[in-house]
Amino acid sequence: MQPEEITTIFSNEVAEAAAPAPPAESEREQAAASLRGVSKKFRDTVVLADIDFDVAMGESLVLLGASGSGKTTILRIIAGLEEPDTGRIILHGKDVSELPSRERGVGVIFQAYALFPRMTVEKNIAYGLRIRRRSRKEIKETVDDLIKLVRLEEHRKKYPSQLSGGQQQRVAIARTLAYKPQVLLFDEPFGALDAQTRVRLRREIRALLKQVNVPAIFITHDQEEALELGDRIAVLNAGRLEQIGTPDEVYNKPETEYVATFLGAANLLLGVVHDGGVEIGTVNIPARDETARFREGQAVKLVFRPEDVCLSRTGELPADCQRLTNGVVEEIHFVGAYERLTLRLDLIARQPSEGAPLLYSVTITTDEKRTGVPIIVTRPKPEATTRRLQAGDRVAVGLTAFRVLPNYALATERASRIVDIER
Amino acid sequence: MKPFSIATMVAIMLPLVLLPLASIFLFGTSKGLYSFWAALTAPEAIFALKLSMVTSFWATCFNVLFGIFASYVLSRYNFWGRNALIVIISLPTAIPTAVAGFSLLLLWGPYGTLGRLIEPHGVKVMFTAYAIVLANIFVTFPLAFGVIKPVFDTMSRSLEEASATIGATRWQTFWHVTLPSLRGAIVTGALLTFARAVGEFGSTILVSGNLANHTQTAPLYIFAKFNEGQVEAANAVAIVLALFSFAIFSVLFFARDWLDTE
Repeated sequence: MQPEEITTIFSNEVAEAAAPAPPAESEREQAAASLRGVSKKFRDTVVLADIDFDVAMGESLVLLGASGSGKTTILRIIAGLEEPDTGRIILHGKDVSELPSRERGVGVIFQAYALFPRMTVEKNIAYGLRIRRRSRKEIKETVDDLIKLVRLEEHRKKYPSQLSGGQQQRVAIARTLAYKPQVLLFDEPFGALDAQTRVRLRREIRALLKQVNVPAIFITHDQEEALELGDRIAVLNAGRLEQIGTPDEVYNKPETEYVATFLGAANLLLGVVHDGGVEIGTVNIPARDETARFREGQAVKLVFRPEDVCLSRTGELPADCQRLTNGVVEEIHFVGAYERLTLRLDLIARQPSEGAPLLYSVTITTDEKRTGVPIIVTRPKPEATTRRLQAGDRVAVGLTAFRVLPNYALATERASRIVDIER
Repeated sequence: MKPFSIATMVAIMLPLVLLPLASIFLFGTSKGLYSFWAALTAPEAIFALKLSMVTSFWATCFNVLFGIFASYVLSRYNFWGRNALIVIISLPTAIPTAVAGFSLLLLWGPYGTLGRLIEPHGVKVMFTAYAIVLANIFVTFPLAFGVIKPVFDTMSRSLEEASATIGATRWQTFWHVTLPSLRGAIVTGALLTFARAVGEFGSTILVSGNLANHTQTAPLYIFAKFNEGQVEAANAVAIVLALFSFAIFSVLFFARDWLDTE
């Protein structure tokens, strides 16, 4: 393979200009692709359990999950490469559940691109039209346009093995665009590429998709990729849809513990709902809205991201920061763009009522007997340099944002059922 | 060390392979090219060579097509008895060719299981050119299969899946995507099959009847002429067969890169 030299398909200005423009309301009404109650079992293992979602016209949806979460199976079911046990697949209002792959009009960009090795770039792109017996003239025009679109003019006579990974991917995309697919399906599209190329290519693809306005479904296990590529993200865990929403929603308002921990890092503190707040140990954090859906005394988890923690040595916290408790800095690591601290909070287990289990039992297996609940905190570089902290410093700890989630062991129960069937 | 090793190797090959080959050329042309040419263009010799080519051609066609089909079935579908079938397909390599010819006689011969059924209808298979084709098919059966099946086994399924999602029918996918990937294996398999069939002797002599100008293939001609003491006639055809195999294996060797390219 040649050294990677990829010219950006679109300059940034084009991408910006073509980007936002949300689809009109009328367009949104009819989804480009819908899954209704799709389930699949493989022997005794549930691969997919009652999956339901819609992809709007021009939208890109990312299916995010660990391997074995069933995301590849969903993609293959939409493409008609695998049959669901139950459920329907609807593309542009038409039920295609019974149709074979070739009649569904979906474009699949396979993980290793699956370019035809004995065909040149232009022959690969022309394939969909050639088998549809289109006229020579039409084929030539379409291929010319697409080659221009994906900027492969100098490579049109080359064979796939002579192209770099990024170029191959562009051929794969152009090959599906040639027959105007109803939806594009990307199977781990950047898995085979190095980190730098990956970042550039996903920007290119995003810009390209906005330009051609074809709805797309991506599957990935990379959360950063999901946040950047998706208009919406669907988080899958062990064949179940945990949450579907905009990147902002799934990241900032995770609905389950799995979502909170899979997308980015999250601290979890056990507590109970008490008097419109969450009681953790001896502190009560007021959270009327967040706790409204729980009953008094219900066991919950306070979930917050490491970057949503504010620290102060003086004890004065910014106005938008809700005081949690105090703590001691235990470790500080500098990890490039930010600083990561381990903190031990002064949270003492609330005395449980007679007979009830202890709410807190933090056991730390170190020589030194340490108390307190550990959390991870990250601080951006400017803050880390202006307000330096050292291990052993006592600080006031506050939160700028948090979520309250029910505390049940379901997440782990589900996880134990994961079977890797994707390979 | 290097020159010594090379010399030893050549010295061992000399009496075993190189000299025998050389001697047919030396002997065959010792009385001048004119007599060589005369021996080669004798009607019986020409007929024998032609018959060998034609029967081998049809056997090759059949075994390559069947090889593709059998490879497809045995590589793509998992079923009870699959491995047994793979072993059976490969079996003819290990069976002595005389046994192969004999078993064909037992089946198709005048008193054979099938022969008895077709004989009354005036259909005769044994001791005709068809018998030679049958014998060739039998002994070269595993060759094309053996080359094509591994290619099917290692072929990425996603190419065919990609073709299907793009909108191709199964047949279009096979024609445009699967077959081109098999190109090298098909050419190799065909050449091997053909080379092996042209040289087939053991089974052919039993089933063909060895009638000159009728059912006598080139190897049978060599054998017959040698027995009659016409060594020159035998030698002329032997040279042609030797050159022919040499050509085929040169193609296989030097075109390997082209045949292998993915």
